[in-house]
Amino acid sequence: MDSSINFSEFDFTNARRVKRVGSFLNSIGLDFPSSIEHFVIAKDNNELIACGGLDGKVLKGIAVAPSHRGEGLILSIMTNLINIAYSKGIKDLFIFSTPNNIELFEGCGFNLIENCDNEIILMENSNNLQIYKEKLFKQRKEGDVIGSIVMNANPFTLGHQYLVEQAAKKSDWLHLFVVKEDLSEFKFKDRFELIKKGISHIPNVTIHEGSDYIISNATFPTYFIKDKGRINELHAKLDLSIYRNHLAPVLGITHRFVGTEPYCVVTNNYNKNMKTMLEEPSGKSNPIEVVEIKRVEKDGQAISASRVRELFKNQDFDNLKKIVPLSTLEFLQGM
Amino acid sequence: MNKIDKSAYAGTLESSDAFIEIKPIDQDEIRIELHSSVEEMYGDDIRDLITKCVQELGISYISIKVQDKGALDYVIKARLQAAILRANQKDKIEWEKL
Repeated sequence: MDSSINFSEFDFTNARRVKRVGSFLNSIGLDFPSSIEHFVIAKDNNELIACGGLDGKVLKGIAVAPSHRGEGLILSIMTNLINIAYSKGIKDLFIFSTPNNIELFEGCGFNLIENCDNEIILMENSNNLQIYKEKLFKQRKEGDVIGSIVMNANPFTLGHQYLVEQAAKKSDWLHLFVVKEDLSEFKFKDRFELIKKGISHIPNVTIHEGSDYIISNATFPTYFIKDKGRINELHAKLDLSIYRNHLAPVLGITHRFVGTEPYCVVTNNYNKNMKTMLEEPSGKSNPIEVVEIKRVEKDGQAISASRVRELFKNQDFDNLKKIVPLSTLEFLQGM
Repeated sequence: MNKIDKSAYAGTLESSDAFIEIKPIDQDEIRIELHSSVEEMYGDDIRDLITKCVQELGISYISIKVQDKGALDYVIKARLQAAILRANQKDKIEWEKL
């Protein structure tokens, strides 16, 4: 490699530089990643020729100028990023990319998890998906209707409780996944405990810790930035393909239950995608039937966790009492 | 001391180098996952080299993942030794054993 090329960690508190990298990425059809912690750039003399970023455990914005492809620059960028990740104690990494780059990243130690519609791929450099699948397999139950729900429950309301009760009634066994990513107002540990308490009266349900493979910052980064008003449809599809092709088969899941979504556009779109992605026939895996359950209403308003958060902000416990179970109420009062 | 204390790595992904990651495991086994651009020609030799090098350091509970881009023998050996020394962080390195 040419010795005039130098690699450096990039200071993106400097707006002028961010703009430069932004226009470099735009020139090859990428956006500057919306959230990023570390960014590495390669320069030849003063010309920007390659870059790559790290956001938590996800590698993003990896690009090489067309005139410098085939020189192995990507390998240096990847080495730099892996060094940074390791120095922060992050060893298990993910990459989003497009299918034409599969071989390239395989050469960097990554394995393909899912190729969705030949448009977007997710890769990882560990075999954690396999380990998670083996863990799930131990909790497999047999039956004609094996239901599933994925919930964030931020926090658990009477609406969530109703959804779980209805789904459990319709299923021989129900698997409930709790979104693990700690990017919501309430911590995973607390959300999990409140769900556990709120459904303790239902006999045929297993509650699972979510993982990087169900609505996480790795599979579905845009889920957690709802205020952008739009979700990346590709991310939603990717998340659902992993669910359908990897997780559901391990547990023998036949149905997925969701609450109707009257308020949140993002979740509503996700539900729509879900119907197409999970139900359409495919050679890879069995279809999963999506069942929408109408939300319970209280005083003419559907119960939602965002309403709970709003009431909690105003410390309005009289109204909260009407829409959360006792266990959640006690938790909120103790906060 | 036939185990390593924690996971560690050494090397780069660049041409003529190898990127080696090691992890402690519970089984008495030298588990090697090799991805090499010269697998067809030298895959078995590289695996032998790695096994021998690990045994020389008296380690037997280890998982080793290697991304090799055509590194020469002594490069692979050096990268592997570096990773193992990093994993065990001894104060004094016994150079005569390397």
